[in-house]
Amino acid sequence: MSKHPQKIKISETDIKSPMGRLSKDEKVTLIDALDKVLEKGAVISGDVAIRVADVDLIYLGLRVLVTSISKAEELSGKSFSNRERELTKEELEYLARLEKEIRRAEASIPKLIDAKNPKKAEQGIAKLVLTLIELLRRLMEKEVVRRMQKKSLSKIEIQKLGMTFKALGKKMEELKTVFGLEDEELNLDLGPLGNLM
Amino acid sequence: MKGFYLYCIRDRTDPNSKFLMRGINGGKVFIIPYQSIEATVSEVSLKEFGSDEIQKRAQEDLKWIKEKAQLHEKVVERAMKGKGRVLSIIPMKFGTIFKTKKKLEETLKKYYSKFKKTLENLKGKQEWGVKVYLDRQAFNKEIKKVSPVVQEKEKEIASMPEGTAYFMQKQVDDAVSKEADKALQNYGESFFENLRKYTAAGTKGKILEKELTGKSLPMVLNMIFLVSEEKLKGFIKEVNKLNKEYKPRGFNFEYSGPWPPYNFI
Repeated sequence: MSKHPQKIKISETDIKSPMGRLSKDEKVTLIDALDKVLEKGAVISGDVAIRVADVDLIYLGLRVLVTSISKAEELSGKSFSNRERELTKEELEYLARLEKEIRRAEASIPKLIDAKNPKKAEQGIAKLVLTLIELLRRLMEKEVVRRMQKKSLSKIEIQKLGMTFKALGKKMEELKTVFGLEDEELNLDLGPLGNLM
Repeated sequence: MKGFYLYCIRDRTDPNSKFLMRGINGGKVFIIPYQSIEATVSEVSLKEFGSDEIQKRAQEDLKWIKEKAQLHEKVVERAMKGKGRVLSIIPMKFGTIFKTKKKLEETLKKYYSKFKKTLENLKGKQEWGVKVYLDRQAFNKEIKKVSPVVQEKEKEIASMPEGTAYFMQKQVDDAVSKEADKALQNYGESFFENLRKYTAAGTKGKILEKELTGKSLPMVLNMIFLVSEEKLKGFIKEVNKLNKEYKPRGFNFEYSGPWPPYNFI
């Protein structure tokens, strides 16, 4: 290739968005791009084809990757394939690390409560407790509605239960305000199990 | 040993223009011509990319996939950029590698007429995405407004004892939610049909979860269209119009493009 010293260098931003793509949202654009590159596009048989794992599984992992980098670090030792096999050395190490994490967390829970930032610790604990109450409240409410539909509750019972749940609902709102929590925050991320609610 | 990673195929361009960028394995991106088409490629180490190790990585190492797929996309987008216009190209799916230049040229020869035809069809057309997000509360409120049954029920509830009313309201809300789900399907269809009129082709993509989009509103519709250059203005105008018109009902339209035509080849 001949040298073209006078050639204008393409700037970094040019390469990032050569078309000057019209989109406000970088995160969504990134996911779009990955989706298109990995799943769509022309397929012709070359000598080597890099086989990417089941795209749905990638999505599962991407969710974590895009949401938080630190979490992805944790996951990087994790296998996304579902073959039956022995645990590899890395996986064993990963599990050992996880176990250590659990022990460490266990040890630091009492410390967290008297942490230097009691307000924050308080909010964390409040979030956990309120999430569990909210879960129970929803489950029980569903059960009442089910029984109402089966007509196995008397009018007075319905009235009483209704008042109870309404009061509980109001109390929850109050507590959420006190601890500065949003509805959306009252959920638990159970990792690979998904969300609690 | 070096292999050739294939990014995309396009019509022959000015042989003097250079890519000036690095590809998936750090190799320079360059062109391999064949008759009136050309392949955009870069060299990759076959030792690295042909081995079982790389297959394993592609299966398990998300960070690796993300990085490499982004590079693939960057090169494809660069190849799409002509002088002040979008070139028609055939973007490849991630991960096609040829062991020799000869093998790649053979493939170009074998599918030549097919590539030519596809490029001809894509000429002057661009891929655009339109995503719709929905404020469920605002939408449900609208549904309530237009349902006489719900109006009636809510009147009834107003005269009930408070506790009983609480559960009745729950049931009404559930019913409204179900009704809204059904209505949403119809809205989606009509949005798609409406925009489809401005485009050469259309398809629907995955609905992405909130965790992925990072948005407060959930995505309810993901549409992808192939739009002719001359109809692009009208298409975008229509998206903006829909956005304005349906905002009070909780809908939020966002468009992005032009994309390489991954969905229409």
